[in-house]
Amino acid sequence: MNDKKIVDDAENLPWLGRKLLWLDKKKNVDRIVYGLYFACAILFAADFMYKKYVLVAVESIPGFYGLYGFFMAIVLVLCAKVMRVFLMRPEDYYAPNDVESEDYPEDQLERLDNNG
Amino acid sequence: MADGFPVAFLFFAGAALLCILPKGNARALLLLAIPVIAGYIIWLLPEGNLWSTSIFELNLELMRVDRLSRIFALVFALAAFLGNLYAWHMRDMVQQVGTLLYAGSAIGAVFAGDLVTLFLYWEGTAIASVFLIWARRTEGAYHTGMRYLIVQIGSGVLLLAGTVLLWRETGSLVFESMTLGSLATWLIFIAFGIKCAFPLLHNWLQDAYPAATITGTVILSAFTTKLAVYALARGFAGTELLIYIGAVMALFPIFYAVIENDLRRVLVYSLNNQLGFMVVGIGVGTELALNGTVTHAFVHILYKALLLMSIGAVMFRTGTAKCSELGGLYKTMPLTMIFCVVGAASISAFPLFSGFVSKSLILSASVDEGYYIVWAMLLFASAGALLYSGIKIPYFAFFAQDSGLRPKEAPWNMLLAMGIAAFLSIAIGVYPAPLYAMLPYELDYVLYTTPHVVTQLQLLFFSALAFTVLQRTGIYPQGLRSINLDTDWTYRRLLPKIISAVGKPAARLWDAIVQFSLRRINNIISGLYRTHGPEGPIAKAWPTGSMVLWIAILLAATLLVSFIDLM
Repeated sequence: MNDKKIVDDAENLPWLGRKLLWLDKKKNVDRIVYGLYFACAILFAADFMYKKYVLVAVESIPGFYGLYGFFMAIVLVLCAKVMRVFLMRPEDYYAPNDVESEDYPEDQLERLDNNG
Repeated sequence: MADGFPVAFLFFAGAALLCILPKGNARALLLLAIPVIAGYIIWLLPEGNLWSTSIFELNLELMRVDRLSRIFALVFALAAFLGNLYAWHMRDMVQQVGTLLYAGSAIGAVFAGDLVTLFLYWEGTAIASVFLIWARRTEGAYHTGMRYLIVQIGSGVLLLAGTVLLWRETGSLVFESMTLGSLATWLIFIAFGIKCAFPLLHNWLQDAYPAATITGTVILSAFTTKLAVYALARGFAGTELLIYIGAVMALFPIFYAVIENDLRRVLVYSLNNQLGFMVVGIGVGTELALNGTVTHAFVHILYKALLLMSIGAVMFRTGTAKCSELGGLYKTMPLTMIFCVVGAASISAFPLFSGFVSKSLILSASVDEGYYIVWAMLLFASAGALLYSGIKIPYFAFFAQDSGLRPKEAPWNMLLAMGIAAFLSIAIGVYPAPLYAMLPYELDYVLYTTPHVVTQLQLLFFSALAFTVLQRTGIYPQGLRSINLDTDWTYRRLLPKIISAVGKPAARLWDAIVQFSLRRINNIISGLYRTHGPEGPIAKAWPTGSMVLWIAILLAATLLVSFIDLM
């Protein structure tokens, strides 16, 4: 992992990459996050705008799907974090070279000699 | 008869033809042509049993075509086409032949009308597919391939045992709907369950698929597990047990997916979770639920391949698929990023993407039949799918913190394959009617209703909100170079430990017994030698005694010969 901030020369990037460079700025990322907050608020409000067709009783709670999704997502991540304490092991736990990759990408690009 | 020529043989003939073609684009072209021709043939096939043969007085049905088998065969042909396009650059004949045999076996298996044919193709998929793992030619891949093969062949052996027992019980080999009860049906059920990666039987999947080659993983993701889904839908639709198996299956892999570092393994955990949805649908067993399962299998093959292709492209260009090593690739691989996001939106079931058209059917079916707890579990799994697949995959590969890697965009063939899969994922999401029309049963279902869209968007946006909050507060688990223990620990660690714990004393005991017996035998031999040997007391009378014996034998022989002569 490189800690230094790399400043990209926009000329070298593909066209689409240049267009997406605005994501590099933290301010713009914040904007996206605010957009998400706003969208959540709108969706919560939208629950009052239409007639609900309730099949399961809990569905009548305003914003049930949103709240359920939010809390379950948090439960999921917290449980997973606890699992990590018990289940995480170093990469060579089973065997050395167990999860090592071959030499990429040169090897894969010019793999003509592997052709039987 | 010619109409119903087994499509699988087309793939096998292609594999043979491949060997005599010059290497290079001619082979790659053949690899593309065969799935296209096969798809065309499958599309035109009439329904019915089209090709029968008999071996050892067993009637084999090689081509049972109906709506269920046809849609699976079609999507298999499509997956083979996309996978081969993605692998256009690849010049490794082992993988090319393996892919053709594998896809052919999978298609052969869905058309199998009897259990013996199913068994043959079932093992065919196992044997052909392992070469996609071994082709990576690393030490880890070799051992993983061995484990994979043992599990897959094990499933086949169980299927064969079940088939034989069922044949003795009923005298019929026809592969049709069964009910659990006898040993035979249980064996077949477990054989299907292994390939379908039921909980506790699942770990071969997460072990093997991420160990395969870049193109191999894409191919692998389509066939084996969906073949098992087909087999369950054909044989065990409406088995209530499957609902609970499926619900557990949809849930537990998502916890692993959150903490897994290898993005390809994250995707395979998510594959397992998506299979859970399909298994629930089979368990519910109503027409709506089975339609949901088939739709889900169809769209899942496309978006899972798409996701694996995009991460494969990243791996192709950077040499790694680990969360801990990646990040910030969106600048130089923007197209791959966009295709990945389309796949992520599809698996998360955003409205207008393909996952929405299929998950909705299964969720509705489970509510209709009153399985509210299962419905809640599936809803949780859907929220989870967004978290670990929908956001984690594109976020950690293409955004997150800058890894400093500036790889080139993926090659044209990979982009084209991803582009087609992405296009289909959106097209099915926007206009699912043509897919719905191909389903096994009539479908009367209004997908895009206001409550439906609003509730789904709520679920997804609020889950995304949770991710944002957790990520910004630093609670979300970051990628660490690590692996996580799963059930493979039992046979990779526990079992060897038990064997060595029991084995060492057992070996020592065996040694002691052998030593003791050898000593006894030696004693007997030397004792005999002392008495009967050349120097022994018995030997003193030996030459005379044996002479008398031989004369007696000669006399007897002469008598016998003269007696026979007289007769």
